[in-house]
Amino acid sequence: MIVGTANIDELAANAATIADFQTDPVELGGVECFQLVAEMRNTARESVLPAGLHPTIPASVSIQAWNVAESPWGPFSMALVRVSCRSGVRARGFSTRAVVTTQASADGLGGVYGFPTEVGEVSFRRSYDGVDVEVQQGGAQILAITALDPDPMGLHDVQYTGTLNLAQTPQGLRLVQVEAHHAATRVERVTARLSRFDGTAWGNALLDPYYVVAASVAVEEVTMPAVRFVCKPEELAFTGTEPVR
Amino acid sequence: MKFGIFFELSTPRPFTRQNEWDVYHNGLEQCRVADELGFDHVWAVEHHFLEEYSHCSSPEVFLAAVAAQTQRIRVGHGAVVCVPEMNHPVRVAERAAVLDIISNGRLELGTARSSTWTELGGFEVNPDDTKKTWDEFVRVLPKMWTQDEFEWQGKAFSMPARNVLPKPLQDPHPPVWVTVTTPGTELDAAERGLGCLGVSAAGYEEQERRTREYYRRIDNCDPVGSVVNDQVHTMNFLYCHEDYRQAKAVGVPMIIAFNVANTHLYWTREAYPTRAYQTMGNAGGAMKEGKVDPEDPSVAKGLPEGVGIGDPDHLIRTIERWESIGVTGINFLLNAMEMIPQAEVLESLRLFATEVMPRFQTDAERRAMVSTPTSIPVPAALRAIGGGQA
Repeated sequence: MIVGTANIDELAANAATIADFQTDPVELGGVECFQLVAEMRNTARESVLPAGLHPTIPASVSIQAWNVAESPWGPFSMALVRVSCRSGVRARGFSTRAVVTTQASADGLGGVYGFPTEVGEVSFRRSYDGVDVEVQQGGAQILAITALDPDPMGLHDVQYTGTLNLAQTPQGLRLVQVEAHHAATRVERVTARLSRFDGTAWGNALLDPYYVVAASVAVEEVTMPAVRFVCKPEELAFTGTEPVR
Repeated sequence: MKFGIFFELSTPRPFTRQNEWDVYHNGLEQCRVADELGFDHVWAVEHHFLEEYSHCSSPEVFLAAVAAQTQRIRVGHGAVVCVPEMNHPVRVAERAAVLDIISNGRLELGTARSSTWTELGGFEVNPDDTKKTWDEFVRVLPKMWTQDEFEWQGKAFSMPARNVLPKPLQDPHPPVWVTVTTPGTELDAAERGLGCLGVSAAGYEEQERRTREYYRRIDNCDPVGSVVNDQVHTMNFLYCHEDYRQAKAVGVPMIIAFNVANTHLYWTREAYPTRAYQTMGNAGGAMKEGKVDPEDPSVAKGLPEGVGIGDPDHLIRTIERWESIGVTGINFLLNAMEMIPQAEVLESLRLFATEVMPRFQTDAERRAMVSTPTSIPVPAALRAIGGGQA
């Protein structure tokens, strides 16, 4: 079986810090969630993941953009890049970088759930004929997606996998399991074109989403339960998973 | 109760020529031994691009070799992926007919639609369409086998009138199955008069539900073929050893490795929003957290519920449990990534055939060429060559 080979110190360079594990869930209201799945070339398959995770075959990434109207940290937008992977036998996405529009949301998502957040400009516009997502950081465009032709889908037709964030925690450097529950009221599949992706800005120059598989946009409420489990990043989940203490 | 062996041809890394050779040739030897021991079926799947998990991309070639090297065991070509980007239905009908002829009427044909984006994406298949094309395939294949002039105007394909040749040896045609991975497909099988071929290791509770639903509907089916195949087979793992602790020590790591390799695949639902794939394929079985029965003999010995890992007495009780919920056949996966040395695989097969199979089959049954649906008439040509079904 194949496992990640990334240098853990390099991965940890941008890790968030969770000082204490929160016990209450976080409710996000009025959420628009865009998700694009793209395949990567296998040259990056193992080298973007820690040793505790398995890549998918083929290697792939999911790119999400969120507009959040209501949250404990106020309204914000976020763009998130995750490498699709397996933790044990479970489907997960390993976060390489998240760009958010406010410092409060950066602190909240990082401090509660370990998202590797940075503040930047995230523009996510949804309309009847499509979706546009653009992210800029330091004046440079690091992500641009145009999606057209929304096609209505069933409310459960989009799969959101759980997220793993590498973060400093009270239990040490750990992969933090984040299981967001998406309650959608509208789901559409869109035909997307990824016109700009700066791998270095998203955490690893080897990230190479060259083949777009599909994309969707949903209107929903999101509940993010308190973190219950963490995993040692260099140990397989079968033995490396720990309950939060 | 029928017993079969089931090949994914999972292959260890690195993918050297030697490793690929070993997997295929060990598989062929297992088929020869299973044939001699009285196993009923050998099944080989069709998968593409599934690194480690399955290198069985041309099962019809593998099965042609099996047919040539065996005498009595039935040859299960399945499941063929019924999407036109991978297999034109005429080619499926032709290959199946030739396999039936060269095996002297021993072919079983399984049908499927693939559940991974790894495969569908590689052939640029639209996941929305696979259930539709599967349905079209299973309706036309029996017609191609039985009509002298076949023409079709459909969604998956169209063609002017032609005689699809050769016709299969079994008259009117080989039994047809559908692989059942996701809940609900057993109803598709029953409504069309197709056999229910489980390919993920469901627990007792889920299999009992599937079987009950299947039998409830099969009597009122609208068969797509000329005969009804009313069998329910399930997939399992096999490692039989006199000492159950040794069986557990060898067999359980094989199951784990197989399931982990399975979950590395990229499931269609995960990649592509669609109504056509409501579950994560086989991963659902590998990841299931269902209730287990603490009284089950497997669970009591620290084994997963209902698996064919253990000593002969344990396996007899396990199979009796499967039989009690309406399963008519079990197809066993014997190895994964060559984790078990070939000599031990064959020893396990022999012990199972000696100590377990006689509890479920008479000597006469084991010696005979295996019959499947009793409604299939014995073809004259088959009688002429000395074979023949009961």
